[in-house]
Amino acid sequence: MRSNDSMTRRGFLRGSSALAAAGWTAAGAGWVLKPTWANAAGSIKMGIATDITGAIAPSGNANWQAAQLAVKQINDAGGILGKPVELFLEDTASDPGTAVGNVRRLVQSAQVDVILGGITSAMREAIKNPIVRRGKTLYIYPQLYEGQECTEHLYCTGPTPAQQCARLLPYLINEKGYKRFALPSANYIWPQLLNKWARRVIEENGAEVVMEEYFPLDQLEYSATVAKIMSEGVDHVFNTVIPPGLQAFMKQLYEAGYYDKGGQTCVYFDENSVNYVAARELEGVYSCLDMFHTIDDAYSAQLISEYNALFPDTKYLFSAGSAATGMYRGVKLYEQAVLATNGDLARDATSAAMENAAIKEGPGGPSRIIPGTGHAEMNMYIAQSRGGKWDIISSEATVPPQECA
Amino acid sequence: MAASGTKKPRRVMLILEILILIGLLVVPLVTSDFHTIIATRMLLLAMLAISFDLCWGYSGIMTFGQALFFGVAGYVAALLANKAGYVQIWGIVPICMLVGLVSSFLIGWFLLLGKRTPTIIFVALGTLTASYAAERLVAGWQWVGAGNGMSVWDFMKVGSYELEPGPVFYYVILGFLIVAYIASRWMVRSQLGLVLAGMRQNEERLAFFGYRVQRFKALVFSFSGMIAGLSGGLYAFHEGFIGPGSMGIGLSTYAVLYGLFGGVGTLLGPILGVGAIETIAFILSDIDALKPYWPVILGVIMLIVVAYRPTGIMGLIVTDRERIGSFGYRVGDEPDAGGKDAKEDTDGTA
Repeated sequence: MRSNDSMTRRGFLRGSSALAAAGWTAAGAGWVLKPTWANAAGSIKMGIATDITGAIAPSGNANWQAAQLAVKQINDAGGILGKPVELFLEDTASDPGTAVGNVRRLVQSAQVDVILGGITSAMREAIKNPIVRRGKTLYIYPQLYEGQECTEHLYCTGPTPAQQCARLLPYLINEKGYKRFALPSANYIWPQLLNKWARRVIEENGAEVVMEEYFPLDQLEYSATVAKIMSEGVDHVFNTVIPPGLQAFMKQLYEAGYYDKGGQTCVYFDENSVNYVAARELEGVYSCLDMFHTIDDAYSAQLISEYNALFPDTKYLFSAGSAATGMYRGVKLYEQAVLATNGDLARDATSAAMENAAIKEGPGGPSRIIPGTGHAEMNMYIAQSRGGKWDIISSEATVPPQECA
Repeated sequence: MAASGTKKPRRVMLILEILILIGLLVVPLVTSDFHTIIATRMLLLAMLAISFDLCWGYSGIMTFGQALFFGVAGYVAALLANKAGYVQIWGIVPICMLVGLVSSFLIGWFLLLGKRTPTIIFVALGTLTASYAAERLVAGWQWVGAGNGMSVWDFMKVGSYELEPGPVFYYVILGFLIVAYIASRWMVRSQLGLVLAGMRQNEERLAFFGYRVQRFKALVFSFSGMIAGLSGGLYAFHEGFIGPGSMGIGLSTYAVLYGLFGGVGTLLGPILGVGAIETIAFILSDIDALKPYWPVILGVIMLIVVAYRPTGIMGLIVTDRERIGSFGYRVGDEPDAGGKDAKEDTDGTA
C-alpha cells in the first residue's frame, strides 16, 4: 500500500519513501498527503496543525504520524461515505506566534473541513481563535490538558485533570505514602490550572504541598529549585515543567541525588519521553494516561504494530502523552460525525454530530464525546516507568472528563 | 540649494509613492482573501518599520527596541478586548497610540534626556535591554497570559460592524498607514526635519547653534513610539493573538532589518523593506529545501546591504540628493509639505 502513496506538496511530487519519519522531520510547513484514489465528488479535507519542528517536535511528529495512520485506515477501507480523506499539514513550530500565521493557511488557503492539532495549551490558546472564531472551522484538540476549555466547536479528545489525577494522586498518597509534594512548573496555563486541581486532591488526602513554583518555559537553570526540593524534605515531585526547560530540570534533579530520596510524577510522560530526557532520569516516574504500550488490549496492540509497520524506523512512537492517541481518537470520532451527518461537511452540522460521536474501539479502549461538554470519556491507566517500560499499576474503564458540564 | 537641479529626480520619488499607493490599493482586488490577510500583516509591520526609520534614518537614534512599544500597545489592546470587553476602533486606536507615545516617552526620557549626552551605543543597548526585559516580564506575568500570550477572541468593531481580517480590514489598515506616512512625511520635510537632518550630519555643531538636540530626539522617539503603538494595537486584533515575542528583541531586530534593507532615511524604504523581506519569507516557507536556511540567507543579504549599499533598495532607485530632499518653507518645489506651519512650529521649539 505504502509504495503507491504519493505526496503532493503544492503540486510537487515526491517519492513514497519519504513517508518514513526521517523524511518528514526535516520537512517544513505545508505538506499535503493525497489519498491513493479519488472520488468525483471530491475529498474530505483534514488539516493537521502540529509541532513538526521546535521544542515539542518529538510529540508533534508522533501526532502527525498518528493522523496519517488513522487516515490511511479510513482510506484503505473506502473512505468516509465513499469520499477519501486528504491530509494537509502545517508546522506550528512550537511557537504560537508562528503558528497563528501557518494555521491561517489551512483555513483560508487549503480551506479544510476540520483541523486537528496543537499540543501545548499555549498553542491551543493561540490557534483556536484563527480556527474556530476567525476561520469558522471545526477544531479538535488531541492533547491531555488543564480542562476548562468550553469553546463551542472545539472538541478535546485527550484526558482532563479529572481523568488523570482523580485516582493517581490518592494512590500515591494513600498507598505509596508520599506526604510532601513539590509542584515545579512551566509558567503557562496548563501547569497553573492542573496544579490547582492537584493541590486540592493532595490536601484532601491529607498530604501537603511544600512548594509550587513557576518558571519561564525556556529556563535552563534550576539549582535553587532543586536545592529547595532537596532541603525541604520533599518526597514527591509533581512535575509540570515542559521542554525545553524539562531536560535541564530533570538532569539537575537527577544529579542532585533526588531519585534516591523520593518519587516523581509527570502526567505527560510516555514511551516517547526518552526523546526528551535520559532513560535513567525516567526510572521510577509515575504517569497516568489513556494508553500505554504495555496495556492488555488487543486493539491497541494492533494499532501500535500497524503504526510501527507504517513508520518502521521512527523514534516518535504512538503514545498517549504525545497526543498521538488523542489524534487517532479525534480522526476516528470525526469520521463518525461525518457518517452521522450523511456526508454534510458544513461546520455546524459536523460539530452538532460530534456531540454524539462514539467509537467502540480505539487506543486504550472505547471512547465517546459526552454530549454538551466537548470532551471525551476514555479508559485511564496508572503506570510507572521501570527499566524503559511502563508497568501498569491499575486501570479504570470509561472515566468521565468532568468538564464543561 | 539648487531648485532646478532637484526638479527631475524629485518626481521619481513622487512617482514611486503614487505607484506604491496604487499597488497597495489594488491588492485585495487581484488576490484571494488569504493573500490579502498576509498583505494586511505586512502593512502593519510597515508602520513598525517606519517608526524605526524615523528614529535611525532621520534622527540618529539607534533603537533596537522598537517592538517594545508595538508589543505594549498590542497587550493593552488585547487586555481591553479580553478583560474589559472593549473593541471599538475609535477607542482602541487613540488608546494604543497614547500607550505607544507614553511608553516611548518614558524610555526616551531615561535614555536621551539624562545629564550626559548619550552615545549611539548607549541608546542601542538601552532600547535593546528594555525590549528584552519587557519580553521576559510578560512571559512570566500570569495576568497577561505569561508564556501563553493572549488570544484576542473578539473582532474589532466600527459601531456594530465587526472588522474581520480580509479586504475591509486591509483598507482600514492601509488608511492608517497612509495617515502615519503623511504625518511622518510632513514632520521630516518640515523645518523640524531640517534640524533632524542637521543633527544626523553633525550633532555637536547643531548643539553649538543652540539647538537642544536631545529634546528633538526625544520628540521624534516619542512620535515613532506612537506609530509603533498604533500598529501594535491593530496587529493584536488582526492576528487575534499577541505574545511575549511581539515585544521582544526578535521583532525589534526585524524592524531594523526592514529599515536597512529598504533604505533608511526615506519613508518609502521601510515599506519596500517589509514588502521584500516578508514576501521572500512567505515564498520560502513553501519551499522546504530552502526554508531552514532563510535566516542565514537573510543574514548574508543584510551583510551585503550594510557593507555595499547602506542606502538599501531606495539607494538603487533614487539619488542621494533626492533621498535627503529639501525642507519646510521652500513651498515652491514641495507641493505636499506643510511648510509654513512647520516653520512656525520649529521656530517655537528651537
